[in-house]
Amino acid sequence: MAKQAIKVENLVKHFGKGDSLVRVIEGANFQVDKGELVALIAPSGAGKTTLLMMIGCVEEPTSGKIYLGDELVYDNRWLTKEQRKIRREKIGFIFQAHYLIPFLNVIENVTLVPQTNGVPQKEAEAFAMELLDYFDIADKAHNMSSELSGGQNQRVAIARALANKPQIILADEPTAALDSERSVSVVKMLKKIAMDQDVAIIMVTHDEDMLPFCDRILKIENKKVVSHDVPKNKDVI
Amino acid sequence: MINLAQKDIKHTFGKFIVTAMGVGMLLGIVLIMIGVYRGMIVDAKVLLDDLKADLWIVQEDTLGPFAESSRVHEDLKNSVHVIDGVKKSVGITFQNLQLISKTKPVRVVAVGFDPYDTINPINPARLVEGDMLRKDHYEIVVSDNIGFKLGEEIPIGRNIYKVVGVTHGTVSSGGDPLVYISLKDAQELQFSYSNNRIRSDRARGIKDSTTNMPMVNAIIATVRLGYDIDSVANNIRQTLHKSVYTKDEQKDILTKNLIERASKQIGLFTAILVVVSTIIIALIIYTMTLEKMKEISIMKLIGIPNSMIMKMIVQETLLLGFLAFIFGNLFSHLIYGRFPKRVVLEISDAWMLFIIIMVASILASLIGIKKVINADPAAAIGG
Ligand SMILES: Nc1ncnc2c1ncn2[C@@H]1O[C@H](COP(=O)(O)OP(=O)(O)O)[C@@H](O)[C@H]1O
Ligand SMILES: [Mg+2]
Repeated sequence: MAKQAIKVENLVKHFGKGDSLVRVIEGANFQVDKGELVALIAPSGAGKTTLLMMIGCVEEPTSGKIYLGDELVYDNRWLTKEQRKIRREKIGFIFQAHYLIPFLNVIENVTLVPQTNGVPQKEAEAFAMELLDYFDIADKAHNMSSELSGGQNQRVAIARALANKPQIILADEPTAALDSERSVSVVKMLKKIAMDQDVAIIMVTHDEDMLPFCDRILKIENKKVVSHDVPKNKDVI
Repeated sequence: MINLAQKDIKHTFGKFIVTAMGVGMLLGIVLIMIGVYRGMIVDAKVLLDDLKADLWIVQEDTLGPFAESSRVHEDLKNSVHVIDGVKKSVGITFQNLQLISKTKPVRVVAVGFDPYDTINPINPARLVEGDMLRKDHYEIVVSDNIGFKLGEEIPIGRNIYKVVGVTHGTVSSGGDPLVYISLKDAQELQFSYSNNRIRSDRARGIKDSTTNMPMVNAIIATVRLGYDIDSVANNIRQTLHKSVYTKDEQKDILTKNLIERASKQIGLFTAILVVVSTIIIALIIYTMTLEKMKEISIMKLIGIPNSMIMKMIVQETLLLGFLAFIFGNLFSHLIYGRFPKRVVLEISDAWMLFIIIMVASILASLIGIKKVINADPAAAIGG
């Protein structure tokens, strides 16, 4: 049990009612362990984002169970009123766009969540600087996001997702807006983070070139989640 | 801890300040409106206070010269004078005059009084140049805001008047500039008929109207020390069958009858302006919040509690209200001197507006708060 970071049982998600009912997920069962970088792939509209948002306690499932670590957070209903507390303490989010807060500078963006969690400002900033240094953008710590390039902003966004020392990172097409070189470096970075920090990462991607860097592939097939091994024919660099 | 409001305002500083200035101008106008009203009340009392009369004896069943036309015989002052407790009593007239200056005609209120009598209505403290009236005829003391210089000659009626004194801050109860002329001149202007009229009266067989007893608009009197003003007033009422008002009653008549309608007018106008300001602040906060919906959704998504986001909205709203209030005060103080009539800006009024604006800002921020609560975190990544 100690290895389990995410566990989903019989997870169902429907949108709407009656004639406009959309069945997106119909009984998903899977598990992601600590230290694992898992790719989530499926055609557009298959429910990848929805699945991530349910695991991230943003979207309420229709039924089923969700464990985050050993904690059962959803059992046909949320077991806590404070999903947002779970989000800011346990989860890091990365999206296709960086979604940085435009009126905060880089270091404020990175330290916002940890400071909200009660980490003293000095400590939060020191750790943020470590992360920014790691992503090679420490010199931009006091710039606004509008002054950074797309790639730099995406690295800040990844730093922000790591700043609260999450157990889980949910990355929704984090490389879709990047060129292939940058994409590879981001995915390698995620792999390194997963290994170094023992974080479970689910990464939605459409880019098959990214799959070799992942430990496993989850596919949404027939509204269920199926686990696959990474294709062997590509060389892992 | 990061203060989101401070960061956001810093980010959109220019826009925020310009917005606060705009609302501030509106609040400045509110303050000016209140100041106009205060000025009217002050103006209404200037003449009364300058006159230092305890009692006003006016035509029976009238409210006195400030409210309606009143005529009494000048010699009534003698009858008043012999009443127990009366110290001094003199006749006084009030009339509107149009003075022809070099540039344009000015409307003034002329106070007529006997320069040799015991009560001089000119407050010496207000005399800034020249002297009191010294002669029975063709001298005039003018208020400094109508553009006549000391020694200048002004044609009034059939005669030329010489400016012998200039006062500052003297206004009629309606806020018009005051001039002072001698009682004899005033009576001639107000009560005597033109030659044409006299000729036409004679042709109609009406008795010579020029031999009328001299009239005044009111008798003003002072009361001896130790006498109760109200009982002296009662005494005059009973013996002379005239309407008698104490100074305080005259003030009441002025404020009740004359100011009340004006204050309702201005009060309503001010209330509408305050409501408009509130709506504008609310709209600004609403659009400011709408502009931030994406960021608000993102913050909710990454787990920032509502309380922090709402704090940002409330702080921004309060700061906007506060800055607008400061700008409003600056604005009103910058422009109030340009108004032709008296504008009195009182600190107590400013405080009241401050409280109203702060309450309005809090109400306005509720709209923003509602948007925050309803914001969907999932909407951050949708589209
Ligand atoms: N709020 C919603 N209301 C109704 N249908 C929704 C909503 N969100 C997503 N869907 C539907 O759920 C399905 C899965 O969407 P999504 O998770 O965004 O797919 P993916 O990320 O795999 O492209 C789509 O058919 C979409 O139309
Ligand atoms: Mg998606």
